[in-house]
Amino acid sequence: MKILNFFLMTVVLLFAGTALAFEPIVFQDPTGDDKGPGTFVYPTNSVYKSGSFDLTKVKITDEGADVKFEVTLKSRITDPWDSKGWTPPGNGFSLQFVQIYVDTDHKAGSGHKKGLPGLNVALADESAWEKVVVISPQPASRIKMETKMKAKEMAADVVVPKKVKVKGKRLIVSVPKKDLGAPQKGWGWQVVVQSNEGYPDANDLLTRDVNEIEGDHRFGGGSDWDCDPHVLDMLVGKAAGEAGEAKEQYDALKYTCAGSDTAKAKLAILPLLYR
Amino acid sequence: MTRCTSLAAACCLAVLFALPGKVAADKSNFDMSAKLYTKWLYSNTDSQGVLWLGNPFWPDDIVGQNGVATEFELNFTGNVSKYVDAGARLKTRFGGMWHDWWESGERKWEYAGEENTSGDSLGMNRAMYVKFRGFYVNLNPDIPIIDWVRVGASNLEMFNAWTIGKVRFIDRDNARGVFAQGGLPSGLLRFHGGVIALPKLWVGPGWSTGVGDDKLEYPFFTQDWAYGLRLDAEPLDWMKVSLVGTYTRDVEFDRWDPDALGSVTGGCKDAMDDPIPGCSMDNAVGTYPRFENVVSTLEIEMEPGDFTYAHLMAGYSNSRLGEDFVSNGVAENDSMFPVVYDDVYDTAFRGRLFLDDPLEMGLSFKLEGFFIGEDWNSIFGARREDDVLLTDGFLEGGQLPTLNLANEFVDFDEPWFESCIGWIGGTALTEYEGDALGVVGEFTYLTYDTNMQDRDIDDKYPTFLYSDGYTDTDLYQYDNASADRGRDPRSVYRRDQDRQTMIGVLKSGYSFDFGLKVEGKFKYIRDDDFRKIKKGGKVHSADDYLGNIYIGRVEASMPVAPSLTLALGGQYDRWDEVNRSGDQSGGYGDYLTEKWKAFSWLAYRWGGASVNYYIEYLYKDQDRPEEMQLDDQLWKVWRSKATFEVAW
Repeated sequence: MKILNFFLMTVVLLFAGTALAFEPIVFQDPTGDDKGPGTFVYPTNSVYKSGSFDLTKVKITDEGADVKFEVTLKSRITDPWDSKGWTPPGNGFSLQFVQIYVDTDHKAGSGHKKGLPGLNVALADESAWEKVVVISPQPASRIKMETKMKAKEMAADVVVPKKVKVKGKRLIVSVPKKDLGAPQKGWGWQVVVQSNEGYPDANDLLTRDVNEIEGDHRFGGGSDWDCDPHVLDMLVGKAAGEAGEAKEQYDALKYTCAGSDTAKAKLAILPLLYR
Repeated sequence: MTRCTSLAAACCLAVLFALPGKVAADKSNFDMSAKLYTKWLYSNTDSQGVLWLGNPFWPDDIVGQNGVATEFELNFTGNVSKYVDAGARLKTRFGGMWHDWWESGERKWEYAGEENTSGDSLGMNRAMYVKFRGFYVNLNPDIPIIDWVRVGASNLEMFNAWTIGKVRFIDRDNARGVFAQGGLPSGLLRFHGGVIALPKLWVGPGWSTGVGDDKLEYPFFTQDWAYGLRLDAEPLDWMKVSLVGTYTRDVEFDRWDPDALGSVTGGCKDAMDDPIPGCSMDNAVGTYPRFENVVSTLEIEMEPGDFTYAHLMAGYSNSRLGEDFVSNGVAENDSMFPVVYDDVYDTAFRGRLFLDDPLEMGLSFKLEGFFIGEDWNSIFGARREDDVLLTDGFLEGGQLPTLNLANEFVDFDEPWFESCIGWIGGTALTEYEGDALGVVGEFTYLTYDTNMQDRDIDDKYPTFLYSDGYTDTDLYQYDNASADRGRDPRSVYRRDQDRQTMIGVLKSGYSFDFGLKVEGKFKYIRDDDFRKIKKGGKVHSADDYLGNIYIGRVEASMPVAPSLTLALGGQYDRWDEVNRSGDQSGGYGDYLTEKWKAFSWLAYRWGGASVNYYIEYLYKDQDRPEEMQLDDQLWKVWRSKATFEVAW
């Protein structure tokens, strides 16, 4: 019976994938806005080359049973920490960590209203996310394990691609529709660029901190408290890549800190783009 | 302790650590972190220790192939203010094995003239003493063009492998200096500079800045420094230009200065104790350079569009050697010497063009051309864990433009690095990456700027004693005579060489939906060296070397659970070498070497703990020439390595 169910489900999904094929979605983002709320600066270590976290384009396409994401950055994506040599091997890049938030229903009361641990962002009630695709240099096994430990309530909705391809400035992944769902008109999207941290803080999901003053492997220009959005770049507004979108991003990522009084801190609200 | 009291203690600890709750800060004024690392190294040999290959010159008492040892480190970081932060690392010396109960490090070999039966006799390495390993203070000054100044340790990765290279991981905080980074407010130009204390061992002729050199009675190493400056500019949105200049300088006392320690003119008197005319003492001692190395590179990176990447590099190297202060290791130390014994200079060029999936069908192309002059040397360049050429090379690890490589202090599962000084050639790579299938094909053609006849390897160019034969990194021993393991990876010079090489590599991997990944690699090297071309005015072919090297490997790995990945694989090597070793007087002989290897590994990650285990069986059959009175050799080696690491 189980085998029959599986067979029928597969047929339905394949059929659905074909029948509900969606038009490619392309988001553009201006260069030079990889400063989070406008103040962030890169870590001082020389591996963090300029443009490494500067999002320029995102393309989402229907690939039948899969959804393909192509994320383009300003600079060539490098692997200074030799991720292919890790055990188990990583994905051929070292520095970036891209999170793609997806709101499939645009309804209040459903989905997660916080970003993944370490990002320090919230989402509006009606834009809470149902799925997030993570593009990380870390092997899938580590992402799944860390998610299970640090974001148990979100773990079922974290989609880890089987394979990450690095093509010059582009990160390319495909995720099965059975994990993400078949994208529909009206879904909300947000693509956030963060940095991979192999030795994250105890509660952070492989994210690199942003502090007040930059350090060897810490971004600067933020806060030493957990109130600043650990987001280097993201999509905003029309996502047409116009220069004015940089300011929209800086405004969107505004936050308020209150020292140790976390209750008074106001996290940045991550906007989603509905297409 | 009973089960109940254990549970109670555990609960108390849990409560104790739980009390502070979530610290709502991602940076605190004082942080401490720790790591415990344990390594098991076992094989079917009779040596004891926990490091496969150690220092070839100073035998380390931790070297051996059967043992288990643990090390512990403590890292401290703190914020003095928002503009100043600091850190330090304390770590136990690795090498105290689990079996070394009671070891305090006090050597007692001579105790009462009797055999020492105490457990307290093996030296400090085995006593796990805590060493102050590294420190730094970072300062963000209120000077507009300086972002920060660091005083203390750095791994030197701000320059590049050609000039001052990133130091190997185990030396990551041994390099100490003063560093500054900043730029013009307009952002047009960025800089990174540093003054680095030269390690008294390894950066210099004879792997030292004077210590141990027979020509120096009183080595002077505390005024030896390296200077580096990197300038970066982005004149166009898609173009970056970097200029790196480095100067490494090892100085010694002026031995003719009458004020100097051990001066030959001490007290302004000659050897007959007679006053030296015109000589006067002034309580000041002059210095002379023992060794200087200027290395500079200019790099231009271009990234027009989404698919194209080009990189051009031009470099210049100049080495000057003060013969009065440097013993000639080429002549006097079996040609084991990390620099050419002369004043030399040379250039290096490398150009790269990458087309990253231009047709959007998963197909990418990489082209590289390079020239590295025969007299190029960067004494402070990267020694390992870096790679300046695209090719897989002879050895898989990487190619580096220095004779000062570090293939010691490694275990059998670590990569090897080879010198590419004198290499001229090009590499073409084609990569296909689909969703499940990945294929990479490489073709490399090499010829050598080191090709010449009657090179002076007696007094000038080091050969590292062994220049012939394909290198066996699996079973490498510094004593090549008994191991017959082939060319030293640093040996780029021969007396007579007329060589060219072709390398072809095909790598492929296929990932199945259920997680299984199967990878294969095949490599073929055709290595021709006509060695001595003419003898007595006639074409000489009796010594011609031809190596046909075939290496095939296959591996299957699979995450059987989110926390556990298992792998299984095998490798076959066949090295068919005509005139592999010998010499002009005694003649050369042919070798056929076959190696089979079966291996397995696992990686387990859970709750912050990391476990790795690797085991292999290696069978090597080396068929050697009877006419040279050399017996065939056989190896049947089981060996394994496990590590267990936790950090908190």
